[in-house]
Amino acid sequence: MNTSEESLREYTRRQFLGNTAKGLGTAAIASLLAKDATAGGIPHAQLPTAKAKRAIYLFMSGGPAQMDMYDYKPKMGEWFDKDLPDSVRMGQRLTTMTSKQARFPIAPSKYSFQQYGQGGTWMSELLPYTQKVADELAVIRTVWTEAINHDPAITYIQTGRQIPGLPSLGSWLSYGLGSANENLPTFVVLTATWTGRKQAQALYQRLWSSGPLASRHAGVSLRSSGDPVLYLSNPSGVDSQVRRAMLDGVNAFNQRTYEKELDPVVQDRISQYEMAFRMQSSVPDLTDLSKEPDHVFERYGPDSRKPGTFAYSCLLARRLAERGVRLTQIFHRGWDQHGGLPKDLPNQCRDIDQPTYALLTDLKERGLLDDTLVVWGGEFGRTVYCQGKLTKDNYGRDHHPKCFTMWMAGGGVKGGVNYGVTDDFSYNIVENPVHIRDINATIMHQLGIDHEKLSIKFKGLDLRLTGVEPTSPVKAILS
Amino acid sequence: MESGWDMRHMLRLMLTSSTYLQDSASSEKKNRVDPANRLLSRGPRFRLDAEMIRDQALAASGLLERKVGGPSVKPYQPEGIWFAVGYSGSNTVRFKQDNGDKLYRRSLYTFWKRTAPPPTMEIFNAPSRENCTVQRERTNTPLQALVLMNDPQFVEAARHLAANAIKECGDDLAKRADYMAVRVLARKFDDVEQGIVRHSLEAFLNAYKNNPEGAKGVVSVGDSPAQEGIPTEELAAWTMVASQVLNFDEAITKH
Repeated sequence: MNTSEESLREYTRRQFLGNTAKGLGTAAIASLLAKDATAGGIPHAQLPTAKAKRAIYLFMSGGPAQMDMYDYKPKMGEWFDKDLPDSVRMGQRLTTMTSKQARFPIAPSKYSFQQYGQGGTWMSELLPYTQKVADELAVIRTVWTEAINHDPAITYIQTGRQIPGLPSLGSWLSYGLGSANENLPTFVVLTATWTGRKQAQALYQRLWSSGPLASRHAGVSLRSSGDPVLYLSNPSGVDSQVRRAMLDGVNAFNQRTYEKELDPVVQDRISQYEMAFRMQSSVPDLTDLSKEPDHVFERYGPDSRKPGTFAYSCLLARRLAERGVRLTQIFHRGWDQHGGLPKDLPNQCRDIDQPTYALLTDLKERGLLDDTLVVWGGEFGRTVYCQGKLTKDNYGRDHHPKCFTMWMAGGGVKGGVNYGVTDDFSYNIVENPVHIRDINATIMHQLGIDHEKLSIKFKGLDLRLTGVEPTSPVKAILS
Repeated sequence: MESGWDMRHMLRLMLTSSTYLQDSASSEKKNRVDPANRLLSRGPRFRLDAEMIRDQALAASGLLERKVGGPSVKPYQPEGIWFAVGYSGSNTVRFKQDNGDKLYRRSLYTFWKRTAPPPTMEIFNAPSRENCTVQRERTNTPLQALVLMNDPQFVEAARHLAANAIKECGDDLAKRADYMAVRVLARKFDDVEQGIVRHSLEAFLNAYKNNPEGAKGVVSVGDSPAQEGIPTEELAAWTMVASQVLNFDEAITKH
């Protein structure tokens, strides 16, 4: 074995320099694209009428109380402490948290409501900032689901089925549309802190999982403490020059492996390593808020300087939108007010109110709102009857699937619009029901996906996010 | 069937067949005619599973704790992963890392929180275990690159691999490199590969020559103390070489 310095230098000059990252990169990317026929999404499922290029989904985990925020029910004032009539309940299944209650006394909202904007949108006093952007919103008060508990309900609205294992909305969008930024994930998830009661319903990584779709479509969770992307930073003592030297060696070795084995996976791996190296710059560039001007922080509110808060996440979401991420989903926990609603709900609303207003305003000012769809809502609503002890100042509400409120803004959605009518009890839908499937179909539609055409063969079925029941986008709120 | 439906017999039959024992190297013709190797024109070549990749690094470095059985353990994990999803009152909302031997057991013994699985495992396609998964995906992602480069478990294993190579092989640099190759790739390097490794080593030695703090940083990754009797810059440089070896495609591929 000749390991003389002479031959080592010979190798260095000829092969190492010839195999620079640039040289490898072209070949690698070429093979990557050839291998991945779906880099541009699934064309036959795409609609030419797409209004939005990206979406931001503000998910309120726990089930916000619609009658205390958006669904104004003045008649309930006369119904304080009167039982919910059977004619209204109509045998609706209750969770075991209230099903054993002797009574179902009605708890009117203690918050005052007014109408805002040209559209006359009713909102409670808990949302002073959102009131200012009422005319951007299409508020749907008649969203409904069948699920009455959190895990099935949140899995249902995120994946289209109550039983886990299917791809999430973001994964379907990634699969159908492809990526718009090769240096960042297509689907990003942010989990935000909350100031309501500490006890909050859990989340599950399956909510952004790709299920049986290729795992590159899974949501990537950007964390607010430590590395935003796991293992992004080099270990202590490894700077970018050492890292580059290490990568050059790995690439050179792998290139020889490729020449021996002719396995395209090897070429692909080289390009993945280069992508990782690029992410080490592009991700910190994204999460470095230091160059944002003060007036932006002021608009989003004081929390926007604190990593991990909802306000901070909204600001980050705007930056992700600017960089072409298809879906940014912020999960805000703590909305599950079974008891002590008047203590916790104002805090929850304060968490989201100003940042929501700031996000919409910010996007609009940058000319991004027209092609960015913003969605707000949770997995179900809450009951008009009180859970636990009822007083004029304190009450709780159990889960309610039959009607709840969501809204959409931007991305070709009409502003200042109110869709759907619920009964006086905010218990049943009177007009224009919108199943959570229809919500998902609408989101897909605005981004340019025909929800009926985007499917994969799975267990003998044509699997779709919106399932097999009749489903359609809510045309009435679309411009 | 004649064997009495003996699984072992079947497996032995397959694994000793000339088809299975073919070289996994492909060719331009094979790639064209038989891209997915359905016609078995070459031996198998595919990325190892998550647990094997971690176990291999631990075994090669001598860190692997081979005790069988007993309670699950919690090796290294970045902060806040459980906390981001956990139910507030749960006893798995705050992750608390184990110490000592428990950091180096086979991945089989890693405690598994299904709603937030161990990230290294998940990144290498270990299923969440929330539902039955008949076949794992075998992806190729930048997140995997980041794990192999930056996960303290792998950086620490690299340091131990490097220290053992230095202690066993003295001043013979080529021998040190081969020591690592044998333990990770099951073969020695050829001349060109020795050249690649040597070229990188020189870059690393240069970087740490006048940077004692950086060197100290590298050798402090992981809970185990830095090995004594080896100059820090040298250990740091060779840790990076070992890390490089653990990152080769060949290191994480069955072929």
